[in-house]
Amino acid sequence: MEMVHSNAHGRRPRRAGRVRGAALTATAVIGALTLAACSGGQSVGGNSSVADSGSKYGFKAASQDSKAQVTVWVDSTREPIAKAYNKAHPHAQVKIVTYDGNANGSNTFKTKTQLFDRAGSGWPDVAFTTDNNSASWGSFGGTGDLAAVNKGLVPQTTLDNFAKGSLDVCTVKGVTYCFRNDLAQNVLWYNKKLMDKFGYQVPTTWEQYQQLAGKVAAEHPGYLVGTAGDAWTPEIYMWAAQCPANDVTGAKTIKADTSDPKCVRAAKMLDRLIADKTMSTLSLFGSDFVKNEADKVLMLPGPSWYGGSVFQGTLKTPAGQIAAASPLKWADDDQTVTGDVGGGAWWISSHSKNLKAAADFATWVTGQAKYGSALAPTYPAYVPAARTWASETQKSGYYADDIVAPLSQAAGQVWSGWGSAQFSQEAIWAKVVQAGMAQGKTVVSQLPAWQTEIENQARTFGYEVTK
Amino acid sequence: MTATAGNRTRAGFRQVRAGHLFVLPYVVLLALFGVVPVCYSVYLAFTDAGGGFAGFSNFTRTATDYRFLPALGHVAVYLVIWLAMLSVLVVSLTLVVHQLASRRTKAVIRLAYYIPGALAGASSVLLWLFVLDPTVSPVAPLLKAMGSDHFTDVITPGHLPVIFAIIAFWTGAGGWILVLYGALNTIPADVIVAAKMDGAGRIRTALSIQLPMIRKSITYMLILAFAAGTQLFVEPQLISQASFGVVPNDYSVNQLAYQFAFTQNDFNGSAAIALDLLVIALVSTSLFVTRGRLFDTD
Amino acid sequence: MSTPASVTAQRWAWRSLTSVILIVFGIFFLVPVVWLLLAGAKTDHELVSANPFSPGSLQALRHNWGALMSFQGGAVKTWMKNSVLYALLALVITLAVSIPAGYALAKLRFKGRRLLLITTLVVMLMPTSALVLPIFLEVNYVHLVNTPLSVVLPFSFFPFGVYLAYIYFAEAVPGELLEAAKIDGCSEVGIFTRIALPLAMPVVALVGFFSFVQNWNNFFLPYVMLPGSNAYPMQVGLSQMLTSTPNFNPVVGANAEVSPPELVLATLISAAPVLVIFLLAQRYVVGGLTAGATKG
Repeated sequence: MEMVHSNAHGRRPRRAGRVRGAALTATAVIGALTLAACSGGQSVGGNSSVADSGSKYGFKAASQDSKAQVTVWVDSTREPIAKAYNKAHPHAQVKIVTYDGNANGSNTFKTKTQLFDRAGSGWPDVAFTTDNNSASWGSFGGTGDLAAVNKGLVPQTTLDNFAKGSLDVCTVKGVTYCFRNDLAQNVLWYNKKLMDKFGYQVPTTWEQYQQLAGKVAAEHPGYLVGTAGDAWTPEIYMWAAQCPANDVTGAKTIKADTSDPKCVRAAKMLDRLIADKTMSTLSLFGSDFVKNEADKVLMLPGPSWYGGSVFQGTLKTPAGQIAAASPLKWADDDQTVTGDVGGGAWWISSHSKNLKAAADFATWVTGQAKYGSALAPTYPAYVPAARTWASETQKSGYYADDIVAPLSQAAGQVWSGWGSAQFSQEAIWAKVVQAGMAQGKTVVSQLPAWQTEIENQARTFGYEVTK
Repeated sequence: MTATAGNRTRAGFRQVRAGHLFVLPYVVLLALFGVVPVCYSVYLAFTDAGGGFAGFSNFTRTATDYRFLPALGHVAVYLVIWLAMLSVLVVSLTLVVHQLASRRTKAVIRLAYYIPGALAGASSVLLWLFVLDPTVSPVAPLLKAMGSDHFTDVITPGHLPVIFAIIAFWTGAGGWILVLYGALNTIPADVIVAAKMDGAGRIRTALSIQLPMIRKSITYMLILAFAAGTQLFVEPQLISQASFGVVPNDYSVNQLAYQFAFTQNDFNGSAAIALDLLVIALVSTSLFVTRGRLFDTD
Repeated sequence: MSTPASVTAQRWAWRSLTSVILIVFGIFFLVPVVWLLLAGAKTDHELVSANPFSPGSLQALRHNWGALMSFQGGAVKTWMKNSVLYALLALVITLAVSIPAGYALAKLRFKGRRLLLITTLVVMLMPTSALVLPIFLEVNYVHLVNTPLSVVLPFSFFPFGVYLAYIYFAEAVPGELLEAAKIDGCSEVGIFTRIALPLAMPVVALVGFFSFVQNWNNFFLPYVMLPGSNAYPMQVGLSQMLTSTPNFNPVVGANAEVSPPELVLATLISAAPVLVIFLLAQRYVVGGLTAGATKG
């Protein structure tokens, strides 16, 4: 609280007015002098001259010094892996700084980088973020803060080891700006014990899934086939339905049409299941869900990390019950596609004085399946690491069935028509659709409002929006 | 005569020099961390990203932003509730506490009312996430009685201004009570005794003696509360985090200024919004100052 | 005419009415605090499932404490130390700067006095979101980013404190006293240090308290200025812990570094110094404001 105690300062109002005028003039003069002195050093973001096809790395890098120490920003979850790097590389120590990892919309990475841009120094060499939508912001056409990794910095063979399509979100106009840390491909999680008990077959299409939901509503009311209470709901259902709400077609162009039949089919499904009460509108991580619905989850379409963090961590479902199935397919579609919820990324700064060491660090950490003695919390995007991770996870004995096959299959099925723009689709969904759902509105009725907010947000960030 | 005049001048000169000496360190800090930043913001508000003169274009651009008017509306509603709550409740509570007989009770109550003021920042996000969720809240019966069974029912748009005002009151009232309490203390005891002997009741004494005598403190509180209210930021930011974005992070004008600067990398637009707020605060302040006769000498 | 009996009845009614009001508001202010106190001694599961006012257990408290202290190899201790360092350094500078300034504004006549008062008011009304960038640029210009001074110096600019001191000297320190000292041949500095300052101890405590609280709880400035986690004060550390809880960073799930009860415990630790200072200062704070009465 700002606080001031005052009784009086003896001053006549008439005079005060005149003095205030004088004060403003005086301050303006001081300000003008100061600014004249400083304005020469002011640099401005949005610098497309960073790109340089003639240089070694495809952009104008700072003068390199192979001895320069590399500073890395990690969240507290990623701290052990950075320490492990130092242990494995006694002669190439990195300086580890922990920060909030950009989690929960804190936007720390961009906030601080933009301040450093203005100051002209201070950038970390490598940063981890729990989200992956910084590419277009920091691209050559954006602030120019990010280093291109596929233009000479890292060999193509290394990049090819990342799961198919996993670097799409980091790629703007053919330039890749990050390494994906983990994949968050969606699969169909289900409680095998309950399914067996109820005598249900695991569905393979969204149509079967809806049918089964109807049966659940009639035969076992109270049990859930999914949730739609989190901001990433569109990334589970809309993405898999190939709803064209977030088709990033260029550095500053986006195609969005939420009235497309493909969006409507997913929205109708959500409305029906919500009306049937087989789909919860509570947040999975809220106390409400944990307290009242933890043992009611029959099926749960969602990302690879649900296994560890929802069932094992938050809901504390006992071992031997949960299994994963391949993503569901819409019967009319040619092939199965799925969505992706988050997945962290490692970014290298274009200002780094030791790009080689920075890249070495970033590729090393993405290649690890284990953080020290513990398994990484999420499914690695780097395929060889993912193999180790999946088999180790399976060995833990928590799951009731094979999860390796569905997860690795889903890893290659993420639909590429849902891009990663500079703004957050999750924030838009939460602000408009989720807020509306809380007031009892259907998802279908909110598709136009969703469209409007996407267009508004996109234009705010300088995107051109087409339908 | 001349000697005295000379003395006075010398004394005056000495005073001026000492005056300047005493305020010098403060003036340096004021210039560095107050005046220059404010001027820099003014400069930003009237220039474009390249540093060229932009006239009022930053102001029109931000004012026509699709989030601006809703944010302005939110803040206006909040302000009315918040100022009403603050002026009525803080003033009455202070009067009630002040007339208690026991010193110890007074001290304990002041502490109890202040404690929430010690909690701040990130940890309050967690606190409100729990307090506003009817399934786990310590005030669950209250929330349920108001017809909210889930967290999302609690944070519907209609409830938000009241929720923010309650949060602001919960954290800030204790400090203001302390300030007004101190102001009440400056009223000489014989004035109150005289009023009592004239047969004035407690309420009468409060309304016609105590309140007018601490008018300046109340005015001052309202000025700062008004400015803080137009700059509403912390409370919606807390609830935005606690609700995972269902309450958007562009709810208030000041949040919007923050979004412009740090999400959109548009420091010029951000400065323009900040200046809007400064102008509103200055205009209302001068209104309060004249109405509350803050600068009058007694 | 009121009879003695009805006066007693009236007094009784008044007393019970005020008691009810005070108790109701006491509950309002304290219920969440009580919940918070209890929550630190619960397990994550109890926090959600058990009655909000169930007491928890010593065992859970010990477990939470242990987990909290081992977070990032004892980062909480470092953060607390940093907070103390920044808040205290800033406190010392604030007092050294604000008290003489307030005294001069109230008791000495010099050119630019009104200008100073008005500029201070204007600066106080400026939204802080607009001040972050310029202050950052200034601090960066003198290469102080990531040093304690980058937060201590801006913290030390405390216009509210100057106003507090100004009002106190104007109202509570009689001018005649200073005048008399002057005639006795005291220098201006001597008058301030020997006469005015001893009288002003209450306002020193007042300014000190508010400055300490404001700096202790400030999040944004250190968040912007200090890129290194070893230099974070508690408030920035807390926000980092918040984003390490499963509620706010669902991906971490079973491996979460911080559970909500641990965060609650961290909150309590971070609030404790403010409350201790409040208790210590309350006597002076109230006394400081009371002193005004002596003049009337």
